Amino acid sequence: MKIGSALVGLFLGALLGFGSALAAAGIVGPGARFSGAVDVSGWASDWTIGSKAANPWTRARVARHGLLALTKEEAVYFTRNTDDAGDRLREGCDYRIKGEAMPAQWWSITLYNSESYLPDNTDNALSFDLTDAASAGGPASWLFDVSANPSASGSGWVSSRAGGNFDLTLRLYKPDADFIADPERVLQAPSIEKLGCGEAN
Amino acid sequence: MRLPFIGLATFVIGFVAAHFIVLNALPDYIMSKARERMTGSGIAVHAWQMSPRVTPETQTIVRPSPDLAYAICIIDVSGGPVSLTVPTWPEYGSLSIFDASTDNVYAGSLDARLPDAPGVRRIVVALEGQAVEPAEGVDVVVLAKPEALALIRRLAPSQGLYDAAAALVPVSTCGPA
Repeated sequence: MKIGSALVGLFLGALLGFGSALAAAGIVGPGARFSGAVDVSGWASDWTIGSKAANPWTRARVARHGLLALTKEEAVYFTRNTDDAGDRLREGCDYRIKGEAMPAQWWSITLYNSESYLPDNTDNALSFDLTDAASAGGPASWLFDVSANPSASGSGWVSSRAGGNFDLTLRLYKPDADFIADPERVLQAPSIEKLGCGEAN
Repeated sequence: MRLPFIGLATFVIGFVAAHFIVLNALPDYIMSKARERMTGSGIAVHAWQMSPRVTPETQTIVRPSPDLAYAICIIDVSGGPVSLTVPTWPEYGSLSIFDASTDNVYAGSLDARLPDAPGVRRIVVALEGQAVEPAEGVDVVVLAKPEALALIRRLAPSQGLYDAAAALVPVSTCGPA
């Protein structure tokens, strides 16, 4: 009887442990963050990404959702999946992203679907970067729209077509040292304003 | 010991053991699967392979950057150290090494605008215990396991810049030292 109880407990524990590991790694669901988290106005990052200092949950989640990510000395990655009102970013709504100068040698913002892949569309509007900002008026004050159809405003555009529930990843390459030391103070994080949603959504 | 406590104790042991065994095994598993996919698609070991320009149709790994041109070399140092030489780039660029557990164990700039830009970045990748002759201007990367990936990133948001980045791959090396 005791052996039976022990085996049942062991089996159920192992089953739950297996499932919770897959969930924490983001194999099932978005994954979990337990330490090293950096949050600047809803843009989430982790300074231990890519390094041996990362805890096992971060390492597993990055392997699943950010394989071949660089350490913070070379690049940092921020992800956000909600707008300024806290609502989930989704294909059925239009958004305006506004930002200022970024504390890095080069930066980009790219849209990914919930599976961490580029959305399956042919719009050739997958990201907005420093090059776009410079050509659109200057890297010190820039904006672009995210929507399923081309922006009517004439500003830059990133297509969310076929993106479903998506997120935006801000990459900062060769980040400034003072930004790494104090990200919440140095980074003027881009805002995400919801412009409106389609009736069907 | 009472039955419920025995069951609870083994439940906790099973949970913790399974959770951390799976969690610690996942990075190695995912990396080995990525290597398998690459070799399965025809990428040879110890040869630079330019990735197609990143689009939704060509993406093979999660979260690729469409603004970058990537080239990859699959490394196996079980037979001895591997030497890499990679030309610099007039914009942002990096040469990075990822070990079998997905850790970014090396990142060197390829940005030719930097004051200490080497012109050609040279590194030697070796397994722990392998002898490597120190040489000026050559970075040495030591691995705990023989499998690794080398990745070149070059800022190339246009087709013209992608083509220019691709033209540098034939003059880059990745092979036994």
